[in-house]
Amino acid sequence: MNWQRYILAFGITAAIFVTAFYIASKLDNERIAAIRATEDSISIDILSSETQFELLGNLDCNTIAQNPVLSDELNSLASQLSVAEANLGDNNPEVVQLKKQYSLLEIKDYILLQNITEKCKTKPVYVLYFYTNSGSCNTNCGNVADILTYLRGEYPGLRVYSFDYDLDLSALKTLISLHNINGATLPALIINNRPPVYGPQTLQSMQALIPELATLATSTQATSTSGY
Amino acid sequence: MDIGAFGVYICLFSALYFEVFLLISYLEKKPSDKTAALPVRYPTVAVLVPCFNEEKTLEHTVNSLLALEYPKDTLEVVIIDDGSKDATRAIGERMAAKHRQVRFFHKENGGKYTAMNFGIGATQAELIGCLDADSFVAPDALLEVVKRFEADKSTMAITPAMKVYRPRTLLELMQSVEYTFGIFYKKMFDNLAALNVLPGPFSIYKREVFTTIGLFKHAHNTEDMEIAFRMHAYGLKIANAHNAFVYTTVPTTPWALIKQRTRWSQGFLQNSQDYSYMYFNRRFGNFGMLVLPFALLAFLGGIYTALYTLYRTGSYVWSKLSEMFATRIPPHLPTTHLSWVYINTNMMLFVIIAVLSGTALAIILGKRIAKTSIGIKALFAYFALFGFIAPVWLMRAAWGTVRSQESRWR
Repeated sequence: MNWQRYILAFGITAAIFVTAFYIASKLDNERIAAIRATEDSISIDILSSETQFELLGNLDCNTIAQNPVLSDELNSLASQLSVAEANLGDNNPEVVQLKKQYSLLEIKDYILLQNITEKCKTKPVYVLYFYTNSGSCNTNCGNVADILTYLRGEYPGLRVYSFDYDLDLSALKTLISLHNINGATLPALIINNRPPVYGPQTLQSMQALIPELATLATSTQATSTSGY
Repeated sequence: MDIGAFGVYICLFSALYFEVFLLISYLEKKPSDKTAALPVRYPTVAVLVPCFNEEKTLEHTVNSLLALEYPKDTLEVVIIDDGSKDATRAIGERMAAKHRQVRFFHKENGGKYTAMNFGIGATQAELIGCLDADSFVAPDALLEVVKRFEADKSTMAITPAMKVYRPRTLLELMQSVEYTFGIFYKKMFDNLAALNVLPGPFSIYKREVFTTIGLFKHAHNTEDMEIAFRMHAYGLKIANAHNAFVYTTVPTTPWALIKQRTRWSQGFLQNSQDYSYMYFNRRFGNFGMLVLPFALLAFLGGIYTALYTLYRTGSYVWSKLSEMFATRIPPHLPTTHLSWVYINTNMMLFVIIAVLSGTALAIILGKRIAKTSIGIKALFAYFALFGFIAPVWLMRAAWGTVRSQESRWR
């Protein structure tokens, strides 16, 4: 019997496992870098919109309305983040950092939306959705997220801002306290600045909560995706 | 990482280790090409054809033996009809009357091993072979076997390279791929002196094997496996003649295949119980240290991985159904993204790719050794079907062993 062959085979097998680990890690890093690049790009777009908003002062609402809608990019970012979260875990420092940046971008986009709504007298349809990854709302939060994703697909003009309630971010905590969100009964929904709605939902109950959906074009109609 | 996934990683590591081990063995000693050289001496040979209700294939099988490129006065074909109820007896008697090389015997049904032992008792040939009545030999197969015996005088038994006879359906094509990488595996086991079975189709023994270790046993309906175990126990060498091709018909329905493989797998488990002292016993070389433990691990790993996959798939489907029920969202296609960023590229994905690559390499090398061709359809059949069917016979075999219930021939 040749023991060297046994040891060599073990070494090669271990090396293949290490290589698989390395490739997976490398791709995770690439994914993080791609997410960061997207976040940076969105950040610049939001800054540009804010600057444009301030520059125009006496606002030309038509110009603003022609701007690209950022919520699409934010939504694709959310999908990328959920893959990173699944691969690296909720508590991975990189993932947490990206989620914080993502939440900040959402809040900035939301504030910009509020400002434009006020000045241009538009009627956007938006939902602030607060969830938690802790055990208390696993299934209910997942179901509400799925309903919102489905509605986003049906009504591209619907703006959804989702926030991890437990994220340690002062701007988010301020938003939570402004809307008096109770963390014990998540999921929570703020629909068009109305008082929070808590608990599980069905598609039908959600549609009843957002009657403004009727004013939005569906994905099967002619695409006018401006949310403003 | 959950404990279930950890178990899958252990299975994958074992599978990869085994593949790497065999590939190292291949690089150390590559199979030689066929040569036109002839044997120095032509020993007398008897090929036993045990049969039970083989009226459809017996004549073809015997004709393929009569067509062997071997001196006719040193080759005899011994048909042993094990109490057939169909026309096997009439066909056998007719062939014996027509060909001087053919002898025919009829006996009460007692199982394949009794037919084999009957045949051994009826011949004085130096080499005794067996050919199942559903298999056919290439004309030069016996020459290749005899040359292999001459090349190493210590060899006591030889297995051929088995191919599937005219595979047509998806199930047959799946088995043809399996037999092709089986050719590679057998050759590597030969390199390691660790062949674990002397299959019914055209395994050839020196007469001394039976005088040294005794005749075939019932051995849980896998006498061809048990005799290989017993030969290892006695230190008798088994080799593989990779240029001696034998064509065998394979089960054509899933249920027939499951029954056949349940018998093989259960036979392996029960023979393993009988020869458990060989496991991790250095005295039995690579057979005891590598082939037996990894065969058992492959058995258990196959069941574990199948159950884990079933559990994960079931959980996913259940959660989706529960979600549909709770949310009342109508069935719809999920949003698809084209970028790789959305693909879940975890470590297991790459390890699975490595294991499948090892399997693909074994198929390619087996194809090269067997000088056979495998089409896309056959590869598709193998990779699409095997993972679904194999766990069924593994679980049946495990259940049968636990209940100590003998598997059935047919």
